[in-house]
Parts: sequence; structure tokens; C-alpha cells
Amino acid sequence: MKRVLTAVLMVTLAASLFVSCGQGAAKGVEFIMNNGAEPQTLDPSKISGVPEHKIYMALFEGLVINDPKTSLAQPGVAESWTVSADGTMITFKLRKSTWSDGTPITAQTVVDSWHRTLHPDTGAEYAYMVNMVVKGAEEYNSGKAGKEAVAIKAVDDYTFQVELLGPLPYAVDMMSHYAFAILPMHAIAKFGDEWVKPGNIVSNGPFVLQEWKPQESLTVVANEKYWDAKTVKLDKVTFLPIDDNLTAYNKFKAGEIDWAHGVPLELIDEIKLRPDYQVAPQVGTYYYVFNVTRKPFDNVNVRKALAMALNMNDLVDKVTKGGQLATSSMVPAMAGYTPTKGNGYNPEEAKRLLAEAGFPGGVGFPKVTLLYNTSEAHKKIAEWAQENWKQILGIEVALLNQEWATYLDTRQTSHDFDFTRAGWVGDYLDPNTFLDMFLTGSGLNDGLYSNAQYDELVRRAGTMPAGAARMDVLRQAEDILITADQAVIPIYHYVEQDLIDLTKWDGWFANPLGSHHWKFIGPKK
Amino acid sequence: MPLLSKNKAEAVNEFNQYVKPVSLWADAWKRLKKNKMAVVGMWIVGLYLAVTFGAAFLPFYSYTDQELLHANLPPSTRPAGRVAVERLESRRGELLVAMQASNREDLKRDLDRVNEDLDRVRFELDRDPVHKRVYLLGTDYLGRDMLARTVYGGQISLLIGIVGTITAGLIGIVLGAIGGYAGGWADNLLSRFVDIMYSLPYMLVVIIIMSMFKDSSNATVLGIPLNIIILFFAIALVSWLTMSRIVRGQIISLKNSEFVEAARSMGAGPGRIVFRHLLPNTVGIIIVYSTLQFPSFIMNESFLSFLGLGVSAPYASWGTLVSEGVQGMQLYPWRLVVPATAMTIFLFAMNFLGDGLRDALDPQSKNRS
Amino acid sequence: MSRFIVRRLLSIIPTLFIVVTLSFFLIRLAPGGPFSREKKLPPEVLQNIMRKYHMDEPLLNQYFRYIGDVLRFDLGPSFRNKDHSVNELIGKAFPVSLHLGSMALAVALFLGLSVGVISALNQNKWPDYSAMSVAVLGISIPLFVIGPLLMLLFALRLKWLPTSGWISSRAGWATVILPTMTLMFPYFAYIARLSRGSIIEVVRSDYIRTARAKGLKESVVIWKHVLKGALLPVVTYLGPAFSGIVVGSVVVEQIFVVPGIGRIFVQSALNRDYTVIMGDVIVYSIILMGANFLVDVLYSMLDPRIAYK
Repeated sequence: MKRVLTAVLMVTLAASLFVSCGQGAAKGVEFIMNNGAEPQTLDPSKISGVPEHKIYMALFEGLVINDPKTSLAQPGVAESWTVSADGTMITFKLRKSTWSDGTPITAQTVVDSWHRTLHPDTGAEYAYMVNMVVKGAEEYNSGKAGKEAVAIKAVDDYTFQVELLGPLPYAVDMMSHYAFAILPMHAIAKFGDEWVKPGNIVSNGPFVLQEWKPQESLTVVANEKYWDAKTVKLDKVTFLPIDDNLTAYNKFKAGEIDWAHGVPLELIDEIKLRPDYQVAPQVGTYYYVFNVTRKPFDNVNVRKALAMALNMNDLVDKVTKGGQLATSSMVPAMAGYTPTKGNGYNPEEAKRLLAEAGFPGGVGFPKVTLLYNTSEAHKKIAEWAQENWKQILGIEVALLNQEWATYLDTRQTSHDFDFTRAGWVGDYLDPNTFLDMFLTGSGLNDGLYSNAQYDELVRRAGTMPAGAARMDVLRQAEDILITADQAVIPIYHYVEQDLIDLTKWDGWFANPLGSHHWKFIGPKK
Repeated sequence: MPLLSKNKAEAVNEFNQYVKPVSLWADAWKRLKKNKMAVVGMWIVGLYLAVTFGAAFLPFYSYTDQELLHANLPPSTRPAGRVAVERLESRRGELLVAMQASNREDLKRDLDRVNEDLDRVRFELDRDPVHKRVYLLGTDYLGRDMLARTVYGGQISLLIGIVGTITAGLIGIVLGAIGGYAGGWADNLLSRFVDIMYSLPYMLVVIIIMSMFKDSSNATVLGIPLNIIILFFAIALVSWLTMSRIVRGQIISLKNSEFVEAARSMGAGPGRIVFRHLLPNTVGIIIVYSTLQFPSFIMNESFLSFLGLGVSAPYASWGTLVSEGVQGMQLYPWRLVVPATAMTIFLFAMNFLGDGLRDALDPQSKNRS
Repeated sequence: MSRFIVRRLLSIIPTLFIVVTLSFFLIRLAPGGPFSREKKLPPEVLQNIMRKYHMDEPLLNQYFRYIGDVLRFDLGPSFRNKDHSVNELIGKAFPVSLHLGSMALAVALFLGLSVGVISALNQNKWPDYSAMSVAVLGISIPLFVIGPLLMLLFALRLKWLPTSGWISSRAGWATVILPTMTLMFPYFAYIARLSRGSIIEVVRSDYIRTARAKGLKESVVIWKHVLKGALLPVVTYLGPAFSGIVVGSVVVEQIFVVPGIGRIFVQSALNRDYTVIMGDVIVYSIILMGANFLVDVLYSMLDPRIAYK
């Protein structure tokens, strides 16, 4: 027995020695984060997710980047820009910067890069972001016109000009998105699709790729050729693709990672008490969409009754508990925009409206089904809502969960649902990103909502210059969508939940789009 | 005159003792009753079946009733209101400590809410009968009774276990026995069919089956919701594969034994040989493997509910309760321990009963007491 | 015998072909596709992507193109992991799962057989009851419970082992211990229960009685005769078990962040990453049929009564 014990001790000792040796070997300041998933690609034209975006911010830099505190545009490769008087033409002044192999970045590089993203053969998912703002982009992307149709040009080596579809006030902020990335065209010409492989890849961000072990880790190291290399404080960043939040949390507790993005929701009571838990409002909304073509949800009073029977404050305080912001509006509050008041919690009014719709006390209400994609969090909320509807309105709602792809197919393609859970996170800081999806015939309008007056208001706002008048029109549109028509039940605004010790790390700030640029992050002095 | 009274019809065992001719089943039952562990197991299995399927007639709380003020209460024999007050008080203490370290907005908000709730529960404590409830096994995240949820959760889990075991038994034994005994091309064909069934991407096959019956999600067949029938079918689809291979292996090994030769020389047909001679000799392994597979059906159900097949929330199963509980086990261990223990006790009972049955049905021990 | 082996090996080819064909058309029937997104793609963008991956062609054309590629050992590009081909993905991940799975199975086999023998020889006595209780626990507690429990105990409480990762990470070989221990559990339980059951049966059989009557030493009887005869169900079980364990356990790989093929398998199915699903199916069915073939050959070695004609 003694011998066995000694052997066990020896093995564990050796193991711990191994662990500590490894840690001692690292040079400089290293930062390890859980990225939540394996990056699907490093090619900015083909990126479509949050984990990829985090790596993109380390490797690449566009014309502008997000300010680490406000998420608004801040100089990147462009050192300054001017917007024409009518708001439709932006002229960027580029700084003299190079790729990590020393090749210079010119205005022509930007033109070629955007052309590549838009080229039909590239198959870029987020090309639609460019299509939304740049004149002629959609024509080229859909193969209806050649690349000369795209209204972008290199005026000289360091001046880049882009013409917009209208006076879109959010266009510059949007251009920090990876859809507007600047690409190493010389490397792409040389290696083709293989250019993103370690050894081939050339980048212009604060870091360059060192190693990529699929499903295991991706490591980047500081880029000496970066134009602002002196600001960069980290020597090495490692991204781990851990999709199990519980494991990531345990790893954070064991001190094996410095930043965990996302937390295990069931442990929120414990996590909240930690001083290293960070929670910040996000530009995103969790909501239920009614299929307004189906009975009984074609009746606006029924829709309102269901919305007014739910006390969202109860939900965020006692069920989700993560600091989410209870809401009755679709658009979160933004600079210059006050969201619609919506129809808040009012059980008496809810009962009255249901009776007015012909179902007093829920009598005769048909059996409806609430659809959600499989997840513990969605299930909790649906169970809570179901019970409240039963208690307050006396109606029976069945719950149906589907795995992600089936759920998307039901929601988006067949529209074969009564009402469904949905979530939307804004791509840029403007109410428009929440409102234009409810236009009649929009591909994103899953509930088949249609209101001519609403369409007119949202379209009109699209032609207006930035300012209070435009925000007012958007606000009127939201009044119709939510307060008058209750096309959806807004439930709460998302929050970003992170674990990072800010007494140890500097330059990490909570911001609305959740973009934490690596060049600012470093150890606290 | 014992010698004279002996006639040919009477059986003798290998020690030349006279024995009364008894059927295999009566004999097995006699031996099973002597095995104490098996009897205990049988009683537990019986109790589980009675309680879970008779739950509606027993004085349990509703498994759907929510009381958010009672969320995540630990098991206790005291009234829920009192337990809730204690939980809220200790939560307030935790929050006050945490606020010394960080001054976050959400902590302040939480503290306000806890104080508010505390006042409310204290006020209602003796006025509202809901606070007099006793949650013997604690509550879940929406303040629902874990005992009721576990009891009702047993319904679908036990049903799935039984259906899976029966289909695995029936299909697996028949196909395995045919393949093993016939050999040659028949065996080859059946074995390759099993290989193909193993190889198809099960998850997608289930998703496709579900999508084919999507329109009739509210339909019923013979009073059973269609969704549940598809669930049974999805379980049955793969449950028999390994069983058939195991039976086939046993039959191949036994078919050249002396006793089979003997039976054959006496003119027994293949059907008789397989079902009267070969299968009774493999019954031990069949029972052991069946009891082993039982829990895998229960867990398979929770996987299928991830795909959206089977019972839907707020109805639960042991599998879904366990997978819910594991996420929060550091804070609310009872939410994992209660359903997991309920399931484990049942599986123990099943195994002891299975072992007892195996011993009792073993043809080698026939007529030996 | 050799004729049997040749015939048996040859039958793998048409079976594989059936599996590939069936799977190819089946997976396209599942709702959704590889480019389903919460922010649904505009039609013109989707059209570009479909053309890029030849998914706008008739299904039959796609099928023949795929079969042609597979015959050249090219499993195509991944729709999801766009920077990697399916060959690369599986080539990197499969050895990891093979490694973890073989270790877990080896441990399970060793522990399971030992426990099975001890239990059977002490049938219905306390060593039997306690060993079988451990085995029942092993099958009734799912992996997604055992894994986090072990992690909490050994990594967070005792701090003996790293929480997660794999050999090439900083923590090195110490990372393999927890996933192996977790993954081994149910297999151990199956092997222990199956071997106990069949040993009890074999011990009572005539040929063991004869061996004992001949005066052979008990240890010889147990190891040479009993175990050999009793291994049959265990060996049968090992066929599917081996192929199941080496293509990875998604639960264990997810909890311990092992870069294996199990995660790829499940994720590709959920993402409708058609080419990766097909790659997984091909790898899995080859291993499964190989393992079952070996099992059939082992039968005749273990049991002289079995003769293939």
C-alpha cells in the first residue's frame, strides 16, 4: 500500500513539475483567452462569427477600428477622413503602413481588397454589409455588373474614396467591420486560397500568426512592422476554442486562462460575486416573433395581451440573473435615440385585451406552440413565459425545441411556427440595424410582418442625413412596430459577460459592440 | 416399491435423484424467490413502476407549478418560506461582502432585489399558504418541486428503457440467431446490414425522420402522441445492433456443441434447435447485456430531446434533469444528486434482478436446488 | 479459413459503397444547410457561395463528383472550417481520438477483466457485490457527470492535474489522465459485467468440470480454459466498442478540450457540413467493419468449435 502511495505521489509530482516548467518557459507578456469556438477561417472576406472577429482584430486592421470604449470609428490604416457635404462621399487619407513582410499598403490595395470580397467567386457571406452602404457593390456582388461599377477609387497612393448609396451616417463606423478588411493582395495572388495557412499568411494588424493547431489553440505574436507597434503591450496571445462554458470557467478559476468570454449560466450566483466578473450592455435584443399570418396572432390584441402578461423584470432578476436589461422595446437605447415605450407589464390590461379579442379568461383560445432552439437558457425563459400565460391569461402554450439548423429552417424558410424565440445583435450602432429587417418582404422578416406606413418611415429615414430629425422618424417607425402593432415581444437586451481580472490587465473596456482591440490590452503597471 | 413405480416419463437429474417434471418457468421462479438480492431488486423495480406511473393519484406537488421566490431551495423538511428567508439572508451577506471588493451596478441592483424579496417573504410567511410547502428534495431554478419532477421524469425514462430493451431483445435475438445459425451468405448479408445501420449518421437520420412528420406534431396514434411514437422508433432503430452481434457470436460458438449434435441427430429441425436448445443457453448473456443497455436508452432519450424529439418542456425525464443539474452542481448539488440517485437506485435494482433471473433461468442449474 | 478471410474482406467494399451512397443522399434531406445563419444570407450572396461549392448543380452530378473525388482519396473542402480540407481535419483529429480511445479501452479491458474474474469466482459474496456496484455506477452515471466531477476534484480541489487540454499543450502528458479515466468508465463497466456473466456460465460447463477432474491446477483452469471460453461475448462487444471509442467521444472531448474527431463529428452534423459528415461516416464505417472482421477471426482462435467454411 505504501509503495502504491509513493508511486502515485511521484507521478503527480512529475506532472506538476511538467506544468510549472512549461509556464516558466514563456517569454514576455503572454495572454491566454477562451475564444469559445474553433475559428472557421482566418480569411477576412469569409469570416462570419464572433470568435473569428476576435482573431481578426489581432491579425488585421481596416481603414478604421472601433474605439475601445465607445465602439465608434477610430483611425486605423486611415489616419483621417472627410465626409462630403451631402454625406454620400467619404475620402480617407491613408497612413504609410506596410504588411508584416514589408510590402506597402496603398489606396489601390484597399480597392483590390474590397473588389475581392465582393467578387461573386469569393463567396463572402458578409459581402452584404458592403452591399448595404457602398454604391454599386450589390450589382458587382450579384454578378449583374463588372467591378468598375463599385464606386470606390484610389485617388492617389494614399487617398481612398468611396461613394455611398445615400447619406448613411453610420457608414464610417460600419467600416471597422471585417467585411471592409484590407487584404494582402500580393500574398493572395501568390498562394491563392492557401494564403491563410501558417507560413503563407501576411497581416497588417498588431499581431502576426505564429501557430494554429486546429481545435486546440491558435497563437499570435507581436508584429514588429505594425505602424503603432509601440502601443502594443502584449508579446503573445493564445486563443483557445473551448465551447463548454463550465470547462472555461474552471480553467479561469485554476488560473490557466486570463480572459473567458461567456460564463456558465447556472453558476451565475457564484460568478456575480467575483470581482473579476465583467458585465456590460450589448447592442442586442432577445425577443419572441409572432407569425402574424396565423390565427390567433393575426389579432393585434392577442399579441399585446401576451406581451403585457409578462413581467420582464421578474425574468431578468430571478431567472436569467445575468444582469440582462428587461425591455419593452426592440431597439436598445443608443446615443441620440430614445426607444419606444412599448407595452409594459400590465396583467389587468392583458386580460382585458384577450377578452376583447374574443377569448375571455382564455376560453376558446387555440393551442399555440412556442418554438425555440435547444438550449438550457431558452428553455428556462420559455417555461417561465408559458407558466405566466397560463396563470394570468388562462391559455395553454405548448413548447417545442429544435436543434439549431432545423430551427433556422422552420423560422426562416418554411415559417411553419406560431411564435418563436429570436435574437438579434446589431452590426453597427444605429437603430436601422434593428428596424430594416421588419420591412415587408425582407429576407429577415421571419414573422411576415407588413405595414405600409412602417415601411415608408424606415425607407424615408434611409435618405435622411444624420441628426435628430432622422432619429425621430426611426422612433416613429418603432412606435408602430412595437407599441401599436406588437409584431414581436421584446424580452431583454443582451449583456456581454466576461471573466477578466482588471486589476491585472489594462486597456480592456466594456463597450457596446464588444470589440476589444488587442493593441490596447496589456498588464497593469 | 419405489423401483416399480418409476416410469419412463419421470426425470432424473445427473445425481440420479428423482425429480418432479416442472416447467422451466416455474422452476426459475422457485429459484428466483430464494435469491434475496433479486427479490429486493424486484420489489424496488415494482415500487418504482407503481410510484411513477401512479404519480397522478399520489399526493405530490405539481411538477409545473413555479414559485420564483422558492427557486433553488435545498432539500429540507421545514416550510419553504423559512428556508427561503435563510437563503435570502445568506445571499444578502454574500452580496455585501462582494460589494466591498467591487462596486458594480448589478450587485447594488441585486441587493435591492434581495431586500425587497426578503421583506415580501417575511410578510407573507404566515399569510400565504404557498410558503408552508415542504420541498423534501429541494426545488429547481424556477422553484418547482424536485421530488415531483423526478417522479414524473421517471415515466418517460422507464418507458424508454423498457421499449428499448424489448425491441433490442426481439429484433436482436431473432436476427442474431438466424445469422449465427444459418451462417454462409445469410449471415454475411445480415452482418453487413448491421454494419450499415451502425455507420449511418444517427443524429441526422433522427432529424430527417422528425422533419418528415413535422406537420403532424399534434397528431396521436392509439392515444399516444405521434412524437412519442417517433421517439420509440428512433430508440428501437439502433438498440438491437450490438445485441444481435452478441447473440450471433454465442450461437456460432454453441451450434457445434454436443447437445446440439444430439438434438439434430434426433431429428430436431433448425427452428427447434435454435429456440429450444441454443437460445436458452445464451439467455444469461442476453439478460446481462439487456440490463447494461438500460441506462444507455435513458441517456439516449435526453440526447434525442436535445434534437427536439420526445416530451417537451416543462415535462422532464431523468436524462434531462441530470443534464440540467450537472451545470449547476457546484451551487445546487441536489439538482444533480436527486435525479441521479433516483436513476442509480433503479438501475441497481434492475441489475440485481437481472442477475437473479440469469441464475434462475440458467439451464445448467435446472433441477438443482 | 483463408477463403473465409478473403470473402469477408471483399464484402467490405460493396458495404462501404452502400453506406456512402445512402449517407450522401440522406444528409441532404435534413432541414437546413451548411449556410443557414441566424442573420439569413441575402439570396445573391447565398447564390455565390452555392456556386463556389458546386452546390447549385443537380444532386446526381454532385454525387458523381464526390465519388470521383473519394476514389482519389480526396474528401473535399469543409464548408465550415473553410481554411482546411476534410482530409486535413480528419488527419489531424483522428490520431488524437485513436490515442485517447485506445488508452481508455486498454485500461477498461484490464480493469474490467480483472474485476470480472474476481467477481465471478466469488459469486454472490461481498467482493462480487462491491465490484458489481462499482460497475453499475459506471454505467448509470453519464460521462457528462463523471467528467466535470473528476475535473472539480483533481484539477480544482487537489490541483494535481491540469483542467483540460491535450499533450501538445503546455501541461503535456498530464492532460491525458482525466479524459482517459472518464472515458474508460462505461467500457470498464460493460466489460466487467459481461465477463463476469460468461465466466459464471463457463465455469459450470462440462469441459471445465472435466479439466478440474483431470486434476489441473486451479490457476491453469482459470486462465487457460475459463477465460478463453468466456471471452467470446466480451470480444463481440469490443468490435462496436472499439470503433465507437476511437472515433471519439464528443462529451469527453468537449469537457476536456481534446482536439479529437468526436467533436468534429457532432459539430459537422449540427452544422450540416456535408463533406465533413461524409468523411466521418467513411472513417467510422471502415474502422467498424475492420473491427468486426477481426472479431470474427478472433472467434475461431478463441473457440476451436467454431470453424468457418
